[in-house]
Amino acid sequence: MVELVPTLLRQELERLAAENQRIDGRGQWDSRDVSLEVDCLYNAEGSAKVVWGDTIIYAGVKFEIRTPWPDRPTQGSLMCGAELRPVAHRKYEPGPPSPESIELGRVVDRGIRESGCIDMEKLCIVPGEKVWGVMIDIHVLSDGGNIFDAAGLAAIAALRTAVVPAERFDVGEDHRLLVNGSPIMASFTRAGGRFVYDPSEEEELGGDERIHITLGDEGHLHSLQKGLRGVFTPSEFAEILAVAEQKCTKLREMVAEKEGN
Amino acid sequence: MGGYGDVKLLRDDGKRLDGRTVDEMRPVSIEAGVLPAADGSAMVTHGLNVAVAAVYGPMEAHPRKIQRQDRAVIDVRYNMAPFSTGDRIRPGFNRRSREISKVTAEALESVVLVERYPRSKIRVEIEILAAEAGTRCVGITAAAVALADAGIPMRDMIVGVASGKIEDTVVLDLDKAEDNYGQADLPVGILPNTGEIAFLQMDGDLSIEEFNLAMEYNFKAASEIHELMVDALKRRYERGDN
Repeated sequence: MVELVPTLLRQELERLAAENQRIDGRGQWDSRDVSLEVDCLYNAEGSAKVVWGDTIIYAGVKFEIRTPWPDRPTQGSLMCGAELRPVAHRKYEPGPPSPESIELGRVVDRGIRESGCIDMEKLCIVPGEKVWGVMIDIHVLSDGGNIFDAAGLAAIAALRTAVVPAERFDVGEDHRLLVNGSPIMASFTRAGGRFVYDPSEEEELGGDERIHITLGDEGHLHSLQKGLRGVFTPSEFAEILAVAEQKCTKLREMVAEKEGN
Repeated sequence: MGGYGDVKLLRDDGKRLDGRTVDEMRPVSIEAGVLPAADGSAMVTHGLNVAVAAVYGPMEAHPRKIQRQDRAVIDVRYNMAPFSTGDRIRPGFNRRSREISKVTAEALESVVLVERYPRSKIRVEIEILAAEAGTRCVGITAAAVALADAGIPMRDMIVGVASGKIEDTVVLDLDKAEDNYGQADLPVGILPNTGEIAFLQMDGDLSIEEFNLAMEYNFKAASEIHELMVDALKRRYERGDN
């Protein structure tokens, strides 16, 4: 899509930033409303729906039995993929996976994988012969900005409520997937010259670089990604990291609460 | 059709395994205007099926060779989410989804007043999030509500419904087991006000009498679903947000 808006939008974002305001009336570190629903789709072994402002994302977990890699005979595998399908926005077109969708899938994948919340050894069924492959698919239905955080939240919530379909594959009894911890992502975009948390569609369109931070339960960093054109200073990063800690803690509580139901 | 004759699909009391009578459809619920990014959208839950449709446009038709000088083209993509079925589906178009997309587009072009928008394109995206038999019909219903939600003029709504045959008995709205082990499936797209048919497929084995009965069931179901579609659109406009 040709981006017609940015020049005017950029000026407006700069004007607002000078007055410490945002285009939708939020404060610099305010989030839009977030709602999370789990176990909402038949056929997915784990599923979650996240409505985050105007962004709507589903994540679904499926399992398959596969042969382990020869050098890791007792380890299962995890794969997280994302699709930015044309359903989600006027700007998305059909075709092979775009660099944007590959980045989204990989950033969410790294946060989950590197947090170690899935013990690959626990996915082993018969060493050297059979292991579980866990696949998380992120399906973006409406892109209203900040799809990264919504995708990360949907993915971990779907994973944490997933049931391993062992009976269907004739390898024991169905059981909850073991997930130790909830890595959560927090994303920031530079809009009007300063960083804001949870960028809206307009802030993304008229903004500069974005930074995605995934934090684990202990507050440790598990994945970082800087995207798009722009530079930032260490002190700017320290500031948004402190915001990310608070935001991630709250979202982690939301996941825990949904799981309990 | 799977066509295994030895699977029991009707109970001794004449009802189906899930307790429905032969001419009873699964519960349906419809919501219009569910996707903020789209010009029009709808979500249809039909039994355990979940379909979401988004409409974008009318917009400039790209690439130019698809343009029609006298009307709009409707570009439909029917897609099953990777987690929508028992075994994960590899993302991307396959032969089945290509065919369904094509005939669905042709059905929608039969009801949308495409001549109002020469040289343009209307994009209809159908995403199946959960599949339990009959997804193409649920997708058509969702697409129709999404088109209406987008304010695109149509000569009528179109409702996707299916009947079929299990254990030599014609039944309305096959579920998963009935679809897998049944003897016939007859999905149609019905214009509820004019009584015309804009979408038709069939596979399996039906006598003329069975076909007529299946069609009768389909028309009955179409008028029931049509009421829900109208109701969803009314609720949408009472709600009032763009």
